[in-house]
Amino acid sequence: MPSENRIKILPKAVVCEESNLRGDITFSSGCVVHPSATVIADAGPVIIGENCIIEEYATIAHRLESGASWDVNNILSIGSHNVFEVGCQVEAARIGDKNVFESKCFVGRGVTVSNSCVVGAGIKIHTSQLLPQNTIVYGEQGLQREAIDKQGSQTLQIDFLRKVLPNYHHLRKPNYDPKKARSVV
Amino acid sequence: MSFMQPSPVKYACSCGILNPINKLFFCRHCPKLHCGFCVTHEIESHFCSNCLENIPSTEARHKKNCCANCFDCPCCQHTLSARASTVPVVRKSEESKDAKEPKDGDSTGEATPPVPASSKPSAVPTTKKMYYLSCLSCRWTTRDVGIPDQGVATGTWPDNECLYQARFNALVEYFQAVVLQEKQEKLEFMRRKAPKQHKFPSLTDRTGLTVSLIRRQIGWNDKVPKAKAVITPAEATAEVEELPASIFTEQLNLRNVTTIAQRHSQPADQPTAVGSLYPQRRSLWIKRSLRCRQCEHNLIKPEYHPTSIKYRIQLFASYHVPEVVMVRCEQPLVPGKSNAILLKLTNPTMYDMTIRLLTAAPPEDPQLSAETTRAVKEEPISSSPLLKTVGITLSRQNSTREVKREVLDASNAEIVPLESEFVLSQRDDSKEFDEYVQLPTEEPKFIVWRKGNKVLVRLQFTPDAELPSSTDVILGFFMQYTYVNTVTNAPEKKEPTTHALHSRVFITAGATEEKAN
Repeated sequence: MPSENRIKILPKAVVCEESNLRGDITFSSGCVVHPSATVIADAGPVIIGENCIIEEYATIAHRLESGASWDVNNILSIGSHNVFEVGCQVEAARIGDKNVFESKCFVGRGVTVSNSCVVGAGIKIHTSQLLPQNTIVYGEQGLQREAIDKQGSQTLQIDFLRKVLPNYHHLRKPNYDPKKARSVV
Repeated sequence: MSFMQPSPVKYACSCGILNPINKLFFCRHCPKLHCGFCVTHEIESHFCSNCLENIPSTEARHKKNCCANCFDCPCCQHTLSARASTVPVVRKSEESKDAKEPKDGDSTGEATPPVPASSKPSAVPTTKKMYYLSCLSCRWTTRDVGIPDQGVATGTWPDNECLYQARFNALVEYFQAVVLQEKQEKLEFMRRKAPKQHKFPSLTDRTGLTVSLIRRQIGWNDKVPKAKAVITPAEATAEVEELPASIFTEQLNLRNVTTIAQRHSQPADQPTAVGSLYPQRRSLWIKRSLRCRQCEHNLIKPEYHPTSIKYRIQLFASYHVPEVVMVRCEQPLVPGKSNAILLKLTNPTMYDMTIRLLTAAPPEDPQLSAETTRAVKEEPISSSPLLKTVGITLSRQNSTREVKREVLDASNAEIVPLESEFVLSQRDDSKEFDEYVQLPTEEPKFIVWRKGNKVLVRLQFTPDAELPSSTDVILGFFMQYTYVNTVTNAPEKKEPTTHALHSRVFITAGATEEKAN
């Protein structure tokens, strides 16, 4: 594992300074990371797609398996338009687009989340499995159903957060511009 | 003290069932303890727990005890909430609508305003609010099953009529007629039967003949012909549809199969496929009033309005009966070894109480027993003999004399009764804020501590010698207390009367010690 944190923040991403970030993490443009959200990249780099919201006390962890070591090619890729609500803990192996992890849910390692899935509040998924597209996990018993209707988009919320968060929090500055980087190369 | 766990202190209800004090009621007129099993439950009002709308009972019956506006999710049985979405109104459809409207409303002549609107091609695209129902728990929406969005949030949602709704309605109609007929026949039977029990014809009956007797003498049919709804009986067939071939060949997708709970929540059609789930009207809730079965006074009467959680009448036992709280045992419980338990007693009433803890039932209050016997005697006079013979009493039918059940629970420890009675002073909320001054008073030895309306009592007991290890030690005793009754049964007495009441109290003190080896 690299000794220091290498955090890439693309322009237009709003990442609060009080968030806990460890390891090699890339925030694509439009991401919103609240204070005291945690992203841990122990096993490999974490790449978070565009317009994701990571709320307070949410944890995204890419943990080392016992005996393994830092591997640059072991990337946890998180797609775009995902929402990690307050207090969720996500250690999934791969996450697609437009998923919602509701408050206090737990998604264990080995779970592959495809697109447009919703993990309900307080749901705990431990066994490794693939959540197919449009899966909704809900209720006390963690029942699954398939949504036919599309989930509402989070654009209004993300626009609001982008406006409000800088008023009350210190932000980490975007430190990586893909256009500039290309011009350098 | 015992929040969210069973209370160790239980009171024996007058019906013989043990209950913690917070589940008991106290009838001031009897005066006795009652539990939920020995009172009559009546429906005070119907209301919807979601929109808190009060619904009269006739309307509730008409609506099959469902709310008109609120729906439950067919998927997870949560409440559905209406969501608004703005839908841009397509110009083309509007034009066609506008074109249609004049045709419909030719005679009214009010179709002129839309014409200029449609004639302006540069008008801003209009949006319209459309509503759909969505579940916040499982994200089910009415769009999932293809129910069209509605222009109004409530009231316009279509009912799902099942295939045999007409048949069902016919059956309901028929059986209502049957019930009505049976009732009439019963009434007729009673009318015919009642005079026969009298030896002599009554003064008002001049002929001594009843209508049916006359009818019979003339030779008419005794029974009045009745209009009867006709139903075709259901026919059972042995022919059953063959299973489709796809059921053997196609793989089952469990996500499309409904769960048992989902089927039961939609009892009319009990769908097997998720696609035919339909929002269910929310069941109404009731407010309940409780009534003493002996004296028919209300014990609990809630306020009528659904948003209010207050009561008009609330005779909870904890407002009238001294509360006993188990504090601790002084020593570990060992069979045959004397021990002591600390009990905290609280007086909830505005009058001082004199309390005695006894091992045997004290004699009944003579005044009280006289009153109850008088009440029993009075009853036959109030209902007329004629009605009595018919079997109808003017009073409610539920005022049954119930068989008194003996309290079967036994104490398995020997209690040393307290040597004297003691006074528990009245409740005074303002005293709580006063500075506490210990007054040097002569207290009986068993009183450990006293403050305001609370007293800590030390009660000595010995668990039975032959108790096996790790079994619960149960202390049972009679608590006699004076109760000042502010309501009087007799109108001539105005001043409050004092009764010496008693209730049996059982305390589960805990398990006996495990024997060392």
